[in-house]
Amino acid sequence: MNWNFIAGDYLLRLPVADSDRTILQTLLQVPEVSAHIPRLPMYFEAQVDDEFRQMVQRFDAREAAFWMVENSEDKLVARISIQHINWLQRSAYIQWELSDEIDLDGLSVVVSAIKDFCFKNLGLHRLEMRLRPDFQRHIQLLEALGFEYEGCLPEQLEFQNENIDLAVWSVLAK
Amino acid sequence: MKFTPELEFEGGKVRPLTLDDLDHLWNIYQQPELPGQSKPKEKEQLARLVDYSIKMAATQRGMMWLLEVDGQVLGMVNVYDWQASLLRLTMRVDGLPELSIKHRQAALSACMDFLAKKYHTRNFAYQWIDGQKEEIKTMLTNLGFELRATLRDAWRVGNSGFANIEQYHLLNNQEKPKAGRLGEFDNPAQNINKDVPTETQKETK
Repeated sequence: MNWNFIAGDYLLRLPVADSDRTILQTLLQVPEVSAHIPRLPMYFEAQVDDEFRQMVQRFDAREAAFWMVENSEDKLVARISIQHINWLQRSAYIQWELSDEIDLDGLSVVVSAIKDFCFKNLGLHRLEMRLRPDFQRHIQLLEALGFEYEGCLPEQLEFQNENIDLAVWSVLAK
Repeated sequence: MKFTPELEFEGGKVRPLTLDDLDHLWNIYQQPELPGQSKPKEKEQLARLVDYSIKMAATQRGMMWLLEVDGQVLGMVNVYDWQASLLRLTMRVDGLPELSIKHRQAALSACMDFLAKKYHTRNFAYQWIDGQKEEIKTMLTNLGFELRATLRDAWRVGNSGFANIEQYHLLNNQEKPKAGRLGEFDNPAQNINKDVPTETQKETK
């Protein structure tokens, strides 16, 4: 199965450990990019090494897949992943980390291609996103992309001495 | 070493699984409560479940109890998706048709009390799957659980069907243990010279 594909002006490809370290760090060191998840910004090389190790191991275990999303100028504008793939229940979590250089139109094309890939090629039935409930930009994007709000799970993790609730949004295969 | 304790509740008890329980497990799994749950074909398959229950408890990933009422095994209490560091987990009680809601609630409550005391669990989740008995939801409300999300088509039923999951949560009032240096926050930590009042001493204060 080919996990790399083109969606409109964007190329979605699996990361390559040797050459993608710097560009991934450039994206993920911006605090706002991962704040909705939430996750610490990626400031140090050790964090990048750990991230690549995890991406490779989790993909090998068919538990997750991570796509680097590049625009027509070969610039990384997002990392989008599916994680916690449950092949029995045919569901997975989707997670995105977006730069300011991808707007709703671009994201629509990319997410639509990922949905097609997950629902048609992988046979999944449900994609859900869990994120902090107070991030309006992401909520507006989810609504525009056809995700439905399902509720908010309390105290799912602790981050920077704060209990974090996570809102659940999902989209189903038609 | 035992990781799953025997706990009593009014009218019955919960206890760990053993290899002598294969007939009981077979009986429970022949009458599945969960929508779409398949029945095992051979009793020996359930020996793996006993083994699994021990490993899960030992590694703090889950816990399984058999539920007995008046000496009869009528169900199981399960802990899964246990995030021990995050002080949260998910629970479910699977019972035979003759298991009353009263005993189901008492068993669940006894297990939750144990988990709160022993592992400082604060956040209990319970997943009710569309198609299960409605009275289970009343039981959850009685215990203080609140419906937090309805996960659409999150439970697979057969080859092509799906059911919604209603996810309930109960956050207990127990304060989270505070990380600190030795002796800070009146936390004995690993200071073996520090006196820790026993339950009896606390009561007599």
